[in-house]
Parts: sequence; C-alpha cells; structure tokens
Amino acid sequence: MIKVEQLSKSFGKIRAVQDVSFSALDGQITGLLGPNGAGKSTTLRMIYTLLKPDSGVAYIDEIDISQFPIEARSRIGVLSDAQGVYDRLTTRENIRYFGQLQGMNDQDLENRMDELLIMLDMMSIADRRAKGFSTGERLKVAIARAIVHNPNNILLDEPTNGLDVKSTRTMREFIRKLRDDGKCIVLTSHIMQEVAALCDKIIIISNGAVAAQGTPDEILNKTRKDNLEDAFIEIIGSEEGLA
Amino acid sequence: MKNIWVIFRKETLDSIRDTRSWMTGLFSAMFGPIMLGVLLVLLGSSTQDDLNNHLTLPVQGSEHAPGLIQFLTSQDVIIVPAPADFETAVKLGDVDVVLVIPEEFGGEFSSNKSATVQLVLDSSRQSTVIVVLRIQTLLEGYSSYIGKLRLIVRGVSPEVIEAIAIEEIDTATPQSQAMLLISMLPYFIIFVIFTGASPIIIDITAGERERKSLEPLLINPVPHKIFVVGKLLSAFPFSMASLALTLISFGMIFNIVPLEKFLGIQISLNVITLIEIFLLCLPVVFLASAIQMLVASFTRTTKEAGTYLPFIALIPSLPGLLLAFFSVKSNLWLMLIPTFGQQLLINQMMRQEPISILYIVVTVLATILVATIFTWLAILLYERENILFR
Repeated sequence: MIKVEQLSKSFGKIRAVQDVSFSALDGQITGLLGPNGAGKSTTLRMIYTLLKPDSGVAYIDEIDISQFPIEARSRIGVLSDAQGVYDRLTTRENIRYFGQLQGMNDQDLENRMDELLIMLDMMSIADRRAKGFSTGERLKVAIARAIVHNPNNILLDEPTNGLDVKSTRTMREFIRKLRDDGKCIVLTSHIMQEVAALCDKIIIISNGAVAAQGTPDEILNKTRKDNLEDAFIEIIGSEEGLA
Repeated sequence: MKNIWVIFRKETLDSIRDTRSWMTGLFSAMFGPIMLGVLLVLLGSSTQDDLNNHLTLPVQGSEHAPGLIQFLTSQDVIIVPAPADFETAVKLGDVDVVLVIPEEFGGEFSSNKSATVQLVLDSSRQSTVIVVLRIQTLLEGYSSYIGKLRLIVRGVSPEVIEAIAIEEIDTATPQSQAMLLISMLPYFIIFVIFTGASPIIIDITAGERERKSLEPLLINPVPHKIFVVGKLLSAFPFSMASLALTLISFGMIFNIVPLEKFLGIQISLNVITLIEIFLLCLPVVFLASAIQMLVASFTRTTKEAGTYLPFIALIPSLPGLLLAFFSVKSNLWLMLIPTFGQQLLINQMMRQEPISILYIVVTVLATILVATIFTWLAILLYERENILFR
C-alpha cells in the first residue's frame, strides 16, 4: 500500500508538484493521469526516494520513506522512464545483479529468475547478451529485474510508452496479472484510453496538483459526462499534452 | 560489504567483456617502455659510433703539412683526399667536415708565424658536432704541442703561457649520465596508472548514465555510497594490470637492450626493484581511480569524460617531468605531494640508493589521505539527487 500526503517539490522557481495526496491500495491499479509535464514522474520519483520532497510525507506499507528510504526501496519494484540494461551482460546476469542488490539468497534468486523467464516468455534469450535485443526484449529484461524481489508495490512510469500494439497488449495483461496477485500498482500515463482501460482508481494531475480523483464511476458522476475521455478533458480544461 | 562485492564483481565482468576499452589501456601501458627503449638504443648506438670508430678526415692539400698529417694519423685519424667540390659536399652532408691546408702553410710554419688551416663545416648540422669537436681538439693539441716545443727551444718554460690550467674532474658516473634519460621512467609509470583506469572509470560512471541504467540501479535498496565504493574498486584491477605491464616491459627492455655495451652503464631494474616499485605505487592506483571517478561523475556523457580525464592524467605527471630536467633532492616535504613522492622514491630505487622508511610511510599516507578525500567527494556527489536529474 502506498499513501502520499501533501507532497510538494520545486525545481528553482518551477513548482513541479504541489500538495499531492492520494492513496493506492493493494490489489488495485492506481493511475496518475495528466498531460506531459504535469508532475506525474516527479511524484513517482519522490515515492521511489530518488527525489527528496520539499514538504509532505509518503508511506510505503506504512514505512515513512524519508526516514527509512532503504527499507522503503526494498518494498517497491520500479519501471522508470530510464530502462537501460547492460549490453555486455546476459538476461540472467542482468536480472541476477539486481536480485543480489535486493539482498536475495542464491537459491531463491535462481528459482525466482526461472519463474520470471517463463512468466515473461523470455527463455529463448535467457543466456544471450543484451546487445542486439529488440525494444520489447529489453523491456522484458527491465521488468524482470524490477520485480525480481517480488515486491508488494510496483511503480510504472509510462509503461507502454513507445511500444507497438502487440507489446502494449502484453504489458497490460501483465499489469492486470500483478493486480490479481494482490500487488499495489501505481502507474503514470498521458494516454486517456490506457487509464480508462486499466485503472481501478484514477488520480488526475494538472499543473502539479491533483485536479480530481476516484474510481471511473465517481469521475463520471462528478462531471456528469457519459465517457471518461470527455470527463478528463472537462477536469483538466484542455486536451493539450494528452493522448 | 556483500553489496560492495556484488557491485565489484558485476563491474569487473562487464569491463572485461569490453575488450576494446581495456586493450587500449594496456597498449598505452606498453607505449612508454617501447619509446624509451628505442630512444636508449638510438642514443647508445650513435654515441658508440662516434666514440669508437676511427675518425675519417678528408683533407685538401695534405702535402703542405706532412708533420700535422703524421700527428693526426698517430691519433687514429684516417686521412682521405677531400672531394673536388668540398664546400657543396659539406653542405649536402656527404662529408661531416673538411680540413683545408693552404699552400702557404709550410712557409708560415717555418717562419714561426701562426700558420692558418681551414675547417669547412656546417654548424647547423647537429650530428656532426662530435666529429668537429674531436678534430678541433686534435688541431688545438697539435698547435699547443708545437708552441710549447718552440718555447722550450728558446729556453722559456711552457707554463708561462698557461695562466690557468684547467683540470676537469667529472663526477658523473656513466650510470648517472644515462639516468638523466631514464629519469623519464617514473613519469611513465605514474601516467600509466591513470590511463589504465580511465576507460573503465568512464564506462562505469558517465557510461552508466548515458545508457540510462543509473536510475534503475540507484533505486535498489543499497546506500549510494556503496555503489561509489564498489565501482571505484572495480577500476583497481585494470589500473594495476597497466602498472604491472609497464613495469615488466621496462624490466625486459633494461635486461634485453645491452645498455652496458651501448652506454657503459648497468641499470638495476631487477625483479625485486620492480616489485618494490609496484607496491610503492599501489596507493597511486587508489588516488588515480578516485580523482577520475569524481571528475567523470560530474560529466554527462562518455565523450565529455573522455576529454577531461587525459588532462587529469597529465597534472600529477608534471612534477615528474621537472625531475627529468632538474636534479631534485628528496626531502620530507616533497613526500607529502602525492605522485611526486613516489616518483622521487622510484628514482632512488633505480639508483639503488638507500631509502628512508619514514619517506615511504609519509608518501603512502599522504596519497591515501588525498585519495580518501576524493572518494568522499564522489560519495557526496552520488548522494545528491541531481546525480540523476540535471
């Protein structure tokens, strides 16, 4: 479970995130929707502790991330915007490195790796070096190493960005499967379709602040629209930066 | 501790598979010794040629001065007739120098006047300097010998015209003469420690950022300082390999090239000295990796890092260059300058001079202290959030 209370962050004079509060429950997909530059990634980066909030607190499974960043990080798996894998290492070596840094013991790590290789259908590239991998193959390696320690909370920054139709479908199915396993999932997106199709709870972010939040039904009721896309545009006030 | 090992192992494996990077590093480690070896051989063979070969002197008009010619012949000079157009021949470098004895020589000589001879030479030609100097010395010797004979004939002591008698006492042993050239050696050794580490450092810092794998890496539940330490340590084996390769190459060159025959010197670069130098330089491996790690972490791309690091490698080697031109005596204060202390001590080791343990301790501690400060600065850098987002 992830709970965020009044997070704020400025870069110089630019107030990137202002008083953002929400909570994301286990077994649910929570989507942060907003145009490019709205502050979604900055919010996510504060949750995974690589950015320090100017004010506000966030809890991961009730652990205060500012006080115990290391403990908090061991309870999350992150697929960030940066998804570089090590070209000179094989798929297994890439995943094993992160598993070891997560403090897993050898036996658990090898078992979990086999599980992930099958789950993500990547047995054929298991012992090949990543140099020359396709975008889809690289993404699979990045996902596998992000969740190798089987974290309870999973953060995904624009997970389907730049993927073709087939990979997008695979990714969505994978996210739903994680949800059905009882994980707490937070993803960001600027694609209205995606959020509408995937999310159990939607947080609409505009200009660094929460413009509205709730289940899809709650958002429809609030705006009195009959489809989510119109509701989003109504709340944000413009279509700019959305897709 | 376990995480440091995990990071070290991954970075080492990754770097070993980057064959091109470390091959470049190792090649540059061989460059110094090979260059110095070639220089020594060239210097040795040219000095030896000039000193040992019989001097051949083309003479124009040898029949005018049979006494002089006989004197020169007795001094191992081979007299040959000068070419017809000797001035052009000298200009073109076909002959080094030509002695011209004019027809009037005999007359002037008999009448106790200063008899004139001419040396045709090209002073802009460096390679002829030794030959010309030897001829001049021989001619002056003959002149002085004849002059003294004439004074004695007149009952005057030759010492009258020698107001000052110059005696040269050369304190330079043959070994210390060659040492002037070989004092370049500490420079190469320190330089190679830096260049051996730099391709690795660039790859694990700026390279990691450029490939967009730094952010996922830093999300792992490991304090960022552990990443700095693990990555820093992974540069050590490569830096040490370069150091070892350079030392082995120098050792081989000084044992294969017959320096004793060429220059009349015996360089003491035996296995024990090489191991001593290797151990003495280990703190420099730490320093070289730490300072390069700090600078490379500031850069955004590998290209940017690649332009800065060679300069870093040059700075600590500058005092060593001074050492090649000026004679610097070791003292305790100089030992406080990292890399310079080591260079002075390497020099002493090669000269087989006794070395103060205190000096070694001071230079090792000073180097480790400075390297630790650089490491600490790099850690501060990695703990700031703009290591990623800027």
